[in-house]
Amino acid sequence: MTERDTMNELANTAALREPCVPGLFSEEEGARLHGARCTCCNTPYFPRVATCRNPACEESKIVPCTFGGEGRLWSYSVADFPPPLPHRYDKPFVPYAIGVVDLDSGLRVVGQMVDPVEVMRVGARVRLVIEPIHHEDGKAFTSWKFKLL
Amino acid sequence: MHRFGKTGDAIVGEKSVTELCRHAVDMAMKDAGVSWKQVQAVSAASSRFSGGKGWGLNGNDIVEDLGCTGIPVYNLSAGCAAGGNAFNIGYSLVAGGIHDVVLVVGGEVMPKGMIQTSGVEDANDPEYLRQRCVGMPGPAFWATLARRRMFDFGTTEEQMAKVTVKARKCSESNPFARFQKAVSLDEVLASPYVSNPLRLFEICPVSNGAAAAVICSKEMARRFTSKPITVATSAVATIGFDDALPRSLAGPVPSGPSFHTEAKSAVMKAFERSGIGPRDISFTELQDNTCYYELAFPEEWGLCEPGEAERLLEAGETAPTGRMPINPSGGFVSFGEATTAMGVFQIAELTWQLRGQAGGRQVPDAKVGLAQTNGLGGNATAAILKR
Repeated sequence: MTERDTMNELANTAALREPCVPGLFSEEEGARLHGARCTCCNTPYFPRVATCRNPACEESKIVPCTFGGEGRLWSYSVADFPPPLPHRYDKPFVPYAIGVVDLDSGLRVVGQMVDPVEVMRVGARVRLVIEPIHHEDGKAFTSWKFKLL
Repeated sequence: MHRFGKTGDAIVGEKSVTELCRHAVDMAMKDAGVSWKQVQAVSAASSRFSGGKGWGLNGNDIVEDLGCTGIPVYNLSAGCAAGGNAFNIGYSLVAGGIHDVVLVVGGEVMPKGMIQTSGVEDANDPEYLRQRCVGMPGPAFWATLARRRMFDFGTTEEQMAKVTVKARKCSESNPFARFQKAVSLDEVLASPYVSNPLRLFEICPVSNGAAAAVICSKEMARRFTSKPITVATSAVATIGFDDALPRSLAGPVPSGPSFHTEAKSAVMKAFERSGIGPRDISFTELQDNTCYYELAFPEEWGLCEPGEAERLLEAGETAPTGRMPINPSGGFVSFGEATTAMGVFQIAELTWQLRGQAGGRQVPDAKVGLAQTNGLGGNATAAILKR
């Protein structure tokens, strides 16, 4: 095991995991995205919004809610080259798939895919997870991702 | 126009955006027979993205360079649709009777590499969240849509590569294109993926370049020419609430197919306002950031039937001499993208085509041309010109 591997393994323990942007998601009670829903027109939102943005909605009634669980891969792309800042990634860069997923709760959301590009297929069932996207200063910075079922 | 190139090459060298625009503006004014003193307003396309990131053109610099006459300057920002927006404002000022002669200009000296859309670490900026939490480079948007088309219609990677082969063939006879050399299908398929399934030769790189146009009222135009090109209409639209691709991180799952709602809305408005329908269009210049759009857009706008684009492409019907010519200029794939110049570059190409001045890429007997742009943030424009 290299020093780097050891560091990464340490970082994967809960104490050293840190969300890449605070407040957007959590993993303590399972992987959840912190969003909202309008109880008038049932539109889901992530991240949270202050008022409903559906032009057909009669009255904005936004309540906080969380999203997680399973969904279906609507389509995907691949980052064959590293995106520019403010994206951060572990070196050497490994191409990853980016999914657009329709969660069963009615939210279409983008996120990195955990599994390698070669096994991706449109229509696959997936599950929301929280996983590291890069390591820095002995910490694992996490984000939401999707894992093939 | 100033021919497109990249910083340091033999075409644009180290020229500033003002120099590039000056060249394009001088050419446009000379072509129109209009002098700078006759220009009553400038509508300029400016590249500013959400989060404050941006560079490039400011219309006030153009006016200063040409001589401060005190005329109004409008700086329009709409991502890659900015050139189309600037044209729309120029058109609206003339059509609305505010001014008789308006100059429209767009130009860029682009930063190298993939466009960095967010320069600030602000959790309220959707671009920042998307890049920080996901890491979704620009071409990934196009690749997502292209992958879905492959699923829906069985489009193959080879068919997408054939769009590039067609585009680059057109570019051979366009003196303003950055690339003016044809490429073979094998060469396209041998180029590396930028965002699978899209390859390097199927995606427009960033370029430096500039384009300008002069819009006059009908009465004023008669003083300069007996055969003016008429702007039938110009329309602007933004993305719909139920668009298939979330503008930020997420959106509601749409109830049905809802691709490119901003582009479709702009084009439909243009058809409606002008009374010109898809069957009346002689040729189209559409925003082919990637070859995928040449397949998807014509179907969505009714230029052909859904799922028919690949067959038309392979039958040569999208070439300048075909039934449905698309991007006879060579398109973004041959020019590269100098963001704010693109909507104006399309107007120049439409004008040359309608006058019969397009040389080896000429659409025979072109009577009506359609131009369309798309821009980050959910922007789109459409214009219809006729002779």
